[in-house]
Amino acid sequence: MKRIVVEKKILEKNDDIANQIKNLLDKNRIFGLNVMSSPGAGKTTLIEQTVEALKPQYKIAAIDGDLDTQRDAQRIAALGIEAIQINTSGTCHLDSSMVQKALDHISLDLDLLIIENVGNLVCPASFYLGTHKNAVLISTPEGDDKVKKYPTMFNVADVVLINKMDIAKFVNFDVKKVENEIKELNPNATIFKISALKNEGLRPFLDWIQTNINLVKNQ
Amino acid sequence: MHEGAIAQSVVDILRDIKDQNGLLSITSATLKVGAVSGVMIDALEFAFEAIKKEESFIKDATLNIINVNVKARCNICNKIYEFDNTDDLIMICPDCQMPLTIINGKELEIVDVEGG
Ligand SMILES: [Zn+2]
Repeated sequence: MKRIVVEKKILEKNDDIANQIKNLLDKNRIFGLNVMSSPGAGKTTLIEQTVEALKPQYKIAAIDGDLDTQRDAQRIAALGIEAIQINTSGTCHLDSSMVQKALDHISLDLDLLIIENVGNLVCPASFYLGTHKNAVLISTPEGDDKVKKYPTMFNVADVVLINKMDIAKFVNFDVKKVENEIKELNPNATIFKISALKNEGLRPFLDWIQTNINLVKNQ
Repeated sequence: MHEGAIAQSVVDILRDIKDQNGLLSITSATLKVGAVSGVMIDALEFAFEAIKKEESFIKDATLNIINVNVKARCNICNKIYEFDNTDDLIMICPDCQMPLTIINGKELEIVDVEGG
């Protein structure tokens, strides 16, 4: 019997590929944004509105992770940008090798790459994809207990968007409580309150994206 | 259930270690799993047991899992705070009112392996 000291990260392979992706994005001066949420929080609508607002000024592409349909990528592609669907065939998260394969099919003459992760507040948080920032989207009808339930996800978030603010009061969503819990768990995260479907409150988020696009451009 | 993918990564690493060290089988592996690694230990053990049935070199292997609590440091006063429960996480220094930096709790590592 032999004891071997290993001290190795279990997701080292994922992280290695993610770092290659990060280098590729940096080299091409593309701002990479990973968008995560539970299913039905309004991720695709948020991305549609974002692309619609920013496409006159920037070259954008999207990678969509979905369990089994092409629908999200089709919705994004309908806006006239390149959108690649990753069919995860049942896997609950994107990993870096899936993103790397998808990137082979995308022209890298871009300012912004949006990755729409699989709808799930648990699994995607463990897999670094090489993007510069993580955005986490929650919506008021899901309830105001999400932050305490999914600490890892809110911990990796650079921004948290609270969506469907227009109906917050009808679904008894305590905005102050949620904001406080986010700030306690991750004081560095920026919080935006929006109604994506009504295209309300998105300006500060769009400004944040523009700032990051410029940071990556000028780094 | 990304623990399936994590368990598969563990088995892939164990296979590499077996080959590199000329072992025939692995009998135990010690893992560190942080409280905010995003991994549920029950689900990880369940997934590992399922893979064991298909991989003869780990058929008798046991996983020893070390839980790692969240520890965070204040960059201003250098005080370290430990949290036994992720429900209690507050990443702000009560004295300085500044964000804490996580120093433990994100671990997802293989520490050591036994085999023959
Ligand atoms: Zn302090």
